[in-house]
Amino acid sequence: MEAKTIYISQPQTKPIKILKWKIREGQTVPVGRVLLLYDFVDSKNPEQRKLKSLHAGTVQKIVAKQGGTINPGQTLVELEACSHPTVMNDMCAECGADLRKEETSPTTAFVPMVHAIPSLKVSEELAQKIGKADNDRLLSDKKLVLLVDLDQTLIHTTNDNIPPNIKDVYHFQLYGPNSPWYHTRLRPGTHRFLNNIHSHYELHICTFGARNYAHMIAAFLDPEQQIFNNRILSRDECFDPTSKKANLQALFPCGDNMVCIIDDREDVWSHAANLIHVRPYHFFQHTGDINAPPGLDKHEHDVEGGSAGIDLLAGVEANKSVAEQAVSDELEAGEVEQAEYDRAELEKEKAEHTKEKAVLGTDKAESGTEKDELGTVKADLEELEPTKSIESRTDEKVGQDEKSEEKEKNLDKAMVDNNVASDAKSETHSSNGNPDVENKTASLSENIEPGNQNVESEEDRAELSKKEIDENIVATITDIDMKTSTCNGDSAIVLDSESHNTEEEDAKISEDKSEDTQLINGERTNIKNSQQKNNSCIKSINTVDDEAGVDSKCKDSTKSSQDNNSDNLIEIDDPDDYLLYLEDILKRIHHAFYEEYDKLEAGDIPDLKVVIPKVRSHVLKGCQLVFSGLVPNRMKLEDSKVYQVATSLGAEVTQDITDKTTHLVAVRPGTVKVNAGRRQKNLKIVTPDWLWCCAERWDHVDERIFPLNSRGSKNRHPPPHCSSPEHRKYPTHDKPAARKRTPSGRFMDTINPLMSFSSADIADMDKEVEDILVNESGSSSSSEDETNKILGALSEDDKTAAIAEILNSSSSNEDDEPGGTEEDLALDYPRGFKRKRSCSKKELDEYDDDGVYDEDNPYDASQNSSDDDSPSERFRRGEMDIDDDIDMEQEDTQDSDSLTPPDPDEVDDKEWNRMGAELEREFLSNE
Amino acid sequence: MEKLKSEAFTTNNGLQQGRAISLEHEILLHPQYFGPQLLEKVKTKLYTEVEGTCTGKYGFVIAVTTIDSIGAGLILPGQGFVVYPVKYKAIVFRPFKGEVLDAVVRQVNKVGMFAEIGPLSCFISHHSIPAEMEFCPNVNPQCYKTKDEDVVIHAEGEIRLKIVGTRVDATGIFAIGTLMDDYLGLISN
Repeated sequence: MEAKTIYISQPQTKPIKILKWKIREGQTVPVGRVLLLYDFVDSKNPEQRKLKSLHAGTVQKIVAKQGGTINPGQTLVELEACSHPTVMNDMCAECGADLRKEETSPTTAFVPMVHAIPSLKVSEELAQKIGKADNDRLLSDKKLVLLVDLDQTLIHTTNDNIPPNIKDVYHFQLYGPNSPWYHTRLRPGTHRFLNNIHSHYELHICTFGARNYAHMIAAFLDPEQQIFNNRILSRDECFDPTSKKANLQALFPCGDNMVCIIDDREDVWSHAANLIHVRPYHFFQHTGDINAPPGLDKHEHDVEGGSAGIDLLAGVEANKSVAEQAVSDELEAGEVEQAEYDRAELEKEKAEHTKEKAVLGTDKAESGTEKDELGTVKADLEELEPTKSIESRTDEKVGQDEKSEEKEKNLDKAMVDNNVASDAKSETHSSNGNPDVENKTASLSENIEPGNQNVESEEDRAELSKKEIDENIVATITDIDMKTSTCNGDSAIVLDSESHNTEEEDAKISEDKSEDTQLINGERTNIKNSQQKNNSCIKSINTVDDEAGVDSKCKDSTKSSQDNNSDNLIEIDDPDDYLLYLEDILKRIHHAFYEEYDKLEAGDIPDLKVVIPKVRSHVLKGCQLVFSGLVPNRMKLEDSKVYQVATSLGAEVTQDITDKTTHLVAVRPGTVKVNAGRRQKNLKIVTPDWLWCCAERWDHVDERIFPLNSRGSKNRHPPPHCSSPEHRKYPTHDKPAARKRTPSGRFMDTINPLMSFSSADIADMDKEVEDILVNESGSSSSSEDETNKILGALSEDDKTAAIAEILNSSSSNEDDEPGGTEEDLALDYPRGFKRKRSCSKKELDEYDDDGVYDEDNPYDASQNSSDDDSPSERFRRGEMDIDDDIDMEQEDTQDSDSLTPPDPDEVDDKEWNRMGAELEREFLSNE
Repeated sequence: MEKLKSEAFTTNNGLQQGRAISLEHEILLHPQYFGPQLLEKVKTKLYTEVEGTCTGKYGFVIAVTTIDSIGAGLILPGQGFVVYPVKYKAIVFRPFKGEVLDAVVRQVNKVGMFAEIGPLSCFISHHSIPAEMEFCPNVNPQCYKTKDEDVVIHAEGEIRLKIVGTRVDATGIFAIGTLMDDYLGLISN
């Protein structure tokens, strides 16, 4: 663009004297800016007058000298016309020129720098300047940029029907009074996470939700606008509907060196190296990511639910016993998940124990502080409504406990435990769930024993430990609860979860049976808090109270139907604690970045795309792993996903056991490597879950939690959030296996003519044929179609209820049973859909199967690949790896077998098709 | 919004943009309203259809003051709908280049700030804010302020600005403003 030069001349009729220039060369001058101070040469009363610019632009050359006398019409200054560096709505924001009219000066401004206002654009040059200023500010504040995804990272939103009284769920409408309702649940600990991370990172929201959705959620997350402060990028501002990457350049014109990303999916970031792939948060059943980019949505996985499979619809049930039944069902259903979680808890606890041990070296000092703390708790108790009789009883108990001797306490505790156990057993419907739970925990403790750190004995040894006392308090409260409980059914839930948890010595036994326990709840939370902060004994009550809300969310492990409370809130068990680990990861990254920055020369900025993988590679540094049963024989070790996960964590992987090998990761016992490994002394034999756990938390998890036992492990594949960005070369999405099947091997044969149709087109075609068939067969419509119609006729509510029912029944079956999940999966499509599919499949059989496979429901494939896995594990692994082990040949035969029900109507599909085609031809010729 | 409207008009009462002018509008009425309340319905329909809209020529229609006449209704053949030509007076708000207005700051960012003058949104570029005022991203709320913190402009603050350009769309008007002139900037009480 050729810059236009404007000559500003002396506007007055009399000669003037320039007193002072107010501008310098190279400066930008907007309209109205004072150029100089002047006075008339022959003025009698001296006065400073201002000369303002009537044009906008950049000062090129100051012609007139300061102090000089200028005659009218003489040039004062040369101004380069405004280059319109900032453009808003096609108007220059500097000079107000309408750029739609001025064809002569095309704008250079095309960088939308402000998140929520895409129409505001600045020039590249200005963007660089602003970006530089931003970076400098971040460096001086020792901050980094963190892009935060919303859906399934920090929150989970559904538009299903949800009971209005669930705790910590926000309900809102976006598009006026008659628009659909949205229900959003924040991930446990979100507020604490944001507040803690806020001091290390400048937080930006980067979501595929619509703009008002994003702003609504931001208002929930950050009502004061202190954390995000309008830095919200939503779908409306995204350049590319399937990728968030494209906007980075605009938001950070100086490069994304200081940008860290947290998201639950890598594909939208093109597997960037500065992405931390978080475990997706899943709270509401039946809902995946409602804002997934088009065509890229992950399918919902109901039984999985990071959260022990909560069926919210059960909460609607007014009938208490039904609800309770559901709870106990859920306990079973979520057991696999729960077990995993329990292990995590155990691990945490152990860490606590070891710390405790260290602290307990100084027993006496400790007891002193303990008393202090008890005092605090007591004070806390007293602070809360002192009139309550139960309250005072608790106080008494606390007092007693404080004075009583250790043995007595143990006795007391044992008694409570006994009570719990016996009561629980006497309950009829909890007896279903209990043996399972007990077996599980029993085996867990067995597992731990070889690790030489029996939790129970550890507990006993930890005399006078705070934990003990706290636990006693909890126990006594339980006691009270049991006494005050009037409803057997309720206490059944309580005890159920109680026995589930106490054996693991876990603090989170919050057996929320609430007659009047809003208060006691608070106390317990406090107790839990103090337990969590095990080492810092005395926390001010204030802090504890502050955190109580967050913690209760985080730790409450029981569903309590607080029927006697006026607000009638349902609290839901949500064991997700991922944000704690994420916070730790982010802080480590921050630390590593600034450590590096301090080492570098001034002006050099390290790149987070290098720093983050580096931090990650420290996790398992020094470990030498050997895999057994993880890598298929025909695959090279280096090509396997598990290898890449392990190496990205910094571990070395060898094919066979050597002297240096530290870990053997085995899927099942009895392999050659495991047997060989048992003979080595310092070799730790673990299940792959250990590796996945490490990858998820970026932490060297204690191996003793994941010992290889007789049952082995089913998690052969890493969960999708554990895959590492460095290894995108690995063909996870391609389906090369299908190509092999073309007999001629010619390229032409690989092209399926039907591929050129969109899936909608094909569906339409199928429907057409189907319609004809239905009309043709008339009365002989299958019972399946009948069901379909009935389902269609049901109102929305009934349908979801029906779905819930089916889901419940299926989730109460064993998870591993594929039959149970078949129904789940079938629900993703309307009934009869699969039949249509199989019809079309036969039609297409003469062509290559590429297209069919692509169009196919991924569930089918995943099911074939992993019939022995539970759905939750399948989800964790994600649909992206489905083709890992599948032989396409086999898969196809299976497909058609499993998909085509032995229905007489469909035996001769081809004949029907032919008839349909004939009919169509006839129909067309009539026209 | 209501509050803002009145603000804009109390502060600018003497100025030209709060003018009442005569306008015309056609109301299309469904036959179901033919009855004793017919004219009432026409009036209420006028209010809902006209107030808050924006035309390129007259700007924002803020409020209908008087309804001068409701003409004879014309029944549309084949439909039964009736069209009433209505003449009314309304207060309109049409911003002009060079006009000085009071505004409420809505958002402050590194590129500039957004302000609202009643229904009119306005953007002020960083370069159109006096150079002695710097953007401070670290304080909350973010603001532009002078070194000695004499003048602090942040969201919800009231400023006086001059309009340097307007963009009139079918749905609204957008303005570009500047603070680079005498007596512009923060309005301090």
